[in-house]
Amino acid sequence: MKRYPAIKRKDGKKYFFRFDLDQRIQHIILALTVIILVLTGMPLKFSDASWAPYLYTIFGGSKMAPTIHKITGAIMLILFVYHVIRVISQIVTKQILPLKKEGKMSVGRVSMILVKQPMIPNMKDAYDIIGLMKYLLYFTTVRPDGDEFTWKEKFDYWAPFWGMFVIGLTGLVIWNKVLATQVIPGELINLCLIAHSDEALLAALFLFIWHWYNVHFSTSVFPMGTVFLTGYLPEDLMAEEHYEHYVRVMKQEGLEDEILPPHGGHKPFCGKPLSDENSPSTTTDAEQPNDTMQQGGISS
Amino acid sequence: MRLKSRFGPFGYIGIFVLLTIYFMPARVFGADAGNCLVCHKYPGLSRVDENGEMRLLFVNEEIHNKGVHGKVKCEGCHTDITKIPHEPAKPVDCLVLCHIIEPTSEQKFSHKSVATSLEDSVHSKKGKDGKEKPFSEDMPTCKDCHDDPLFRPLAFVKKVRPGVAEDALGRCRVCHTQEEFITRFYNHITTRLHKSRSPLNIAESCARCHDDPELVARHNLSTSAGGSYGQTFHGKAANLLDESVPDCLDCHVPKGKSVHQMYENKDPRATTHKDNRGKICNSVDCHPGASADFANYKVHAEFDKKSNPVIYWFTTFFIVLTGGTLLPLMAILFLDLLRRLFPNASFSRRKEK
Repeated sequence: MKRYPAIKRKDGKKYFFRFDLDQRIQHIILALTVIILVLTGMPLKFSDASWAPYLYTIFGGSKMAPTIHKITGAIMLILFVYHVIRVISQIVTKQILPLKKEGKMSVGRVSMILVKQPMIPNMKDAYDIIGLMKYLLYFTTVRPDGDEFTWKEKFDYWAPFWGMFVIGLTGLVIWNKVLATQVIPGELINLCLIAHSDEALLAALFLFIWHWYNVHFSTSVFPMGTVFLTGYLPEDLMAEEHYEHYVRVMKQEGLEDEILPPHGGHKPFCGKPLSDENSPSTTTDAEQPNDTMQQGGISS
Repeated sequence: MRLKSRFGPFGYIGIFVLLTIYFMPARVFGADAGNCLVCHKYPGLSRVDENGEMRLLFVNEEIHNKGVHGKVKCEGCHTDITKIPHEPAKPVDCLVLCHIIEPTSEQKFSHKSVATSLEDSVHSKKGKDGKEKPFSEDMPTCKDCHDDPLFRPLAFVKKVRPGVAEDALGRCRVCHTQEEFITRFYNHITTRLHKSRSPLNIAESCARCHDDPELVARHNLSTSAGGSYGQTFHGKAANLLDESVPDCLDCHVPKGKSVHQMYENKDPRATTHKDNRGKICNSVDCHPGASADFANYKVHAEFDKKSNPVIYWFTTFFIVLTGGTLLPLMAILFLDLLRRLFPNASFSRRKEK
């Protein structure tokens, strides 16, 4: 498998490895399928809305749109299965099998490996959330230092994970309702419909408000974080969102001298260094496009 | 002079009548033999009736003539009117013997048989025991559902656009010579062959009563039928103007019967009777091969704690989940935006860097 350097240098700037090519392709397929599924599904959920027939017609109306929805859904489900298989196989081949070779297999060690997986929430996430709340409610001016993956990213990972499971499973039942009701009672179809559409609405709102805010609209990344395309995060964003991990990587690479100072709070819009006065710095719109301060693009 | 000698003064009246007819605009010839349009042609002709309700008395001749009753004379239905000017007219009784001869029986035509089936159905004013149902005045009569202009001609024979298909008319002309007859009977037959209204249209017609909260409560109905239908895929597709989805009638009217022959759930003749339900869903045109369990899908599921506790709590779970997830995140998002405006503000004194 291709080895990715932890830090890439380009034009004198450092970029930190976040996502390999496989993950980036998975993300793009997921993003595209989600958008198509939402566009072909929401006109049905809100079929009495004035815009619904127009949007539905764009996708070929009730003759074509359901087919598009099903094919796209199938692609997403295949992606889901692929992702789960890949994650499991990587854990097995890279962590559990070596352990077995060394003859150190035990239930305790294996469960430790599973708990230590990057996406598993831990106590640091809880402390980070509390720290963030303190910062957002003006009790402190210091934002918590994020680890390699922050609680936001874990949330952005598990929410679609659960969503895809629920929506995918119920979607399959609704799709194959005649077959399904050979086994399950017809009343369950009602529940599948509710779960499918309500969970889909939750997922859509979650992604298009929360996720898009974090990776597109937040002032530090606007108009778009690029990490989902390049797989590498610029140094300033890395330091802003993942300071703990940033310091660790810099030390690993032997770059202790070049470590940026802790970020404290958000940097002011106009790029002035944090002043000691407790006064908000003024913002001028004209300077913003050249603003290099970007927050970490959060990608699930 | 021969005129005078033979018919007396009536001869002059005859000439006068002929002249009048001659100078009358051609279109008046339609149904208006009784000359009703002399007054009723004026838009805005109206009065306030005894109940204080505004009654519009204007007859749109163009719409009327295009409708299924375009050939029927006014007095054919308004039988109580015999002279002009007339007393306030009684509501039309659709069961009067029409002046039209029904071609297969050569008898005068009547809609009476429709009324007979309706009286036997769930929409009857009388209960099984022959007694008047409570609130029988709520039960539909002909005019509650039938409003002429909604009917439209069939659009088949290599034609997707609704309207009279010229190619189809050609087939009629082989035998029938009268153009008038051809168009009228073409319309008459095709409206009955076709689903003459779109599913949405049908659902809306039924919903006029079945979604009326007062009527639903008064008759102890388990659902606002139109509303709950709208929550199903069938209803949603109907909302999106799909014409191929089943509407109320496809499931509630027994196969081969008419809309006037719907029965209540407990009646073994009813399609919705628990022994028959499976057969509606798994018909060849719909969900062939569907099991009887398939038909237990609740088409008219209401979000109601009492009648559907499972659906109620299941939906509530998702509402809470959605709110519980999004509201805190939106709060964080909002605070985050605000925080970016005042990055250095804090209640507590900043510690040393």
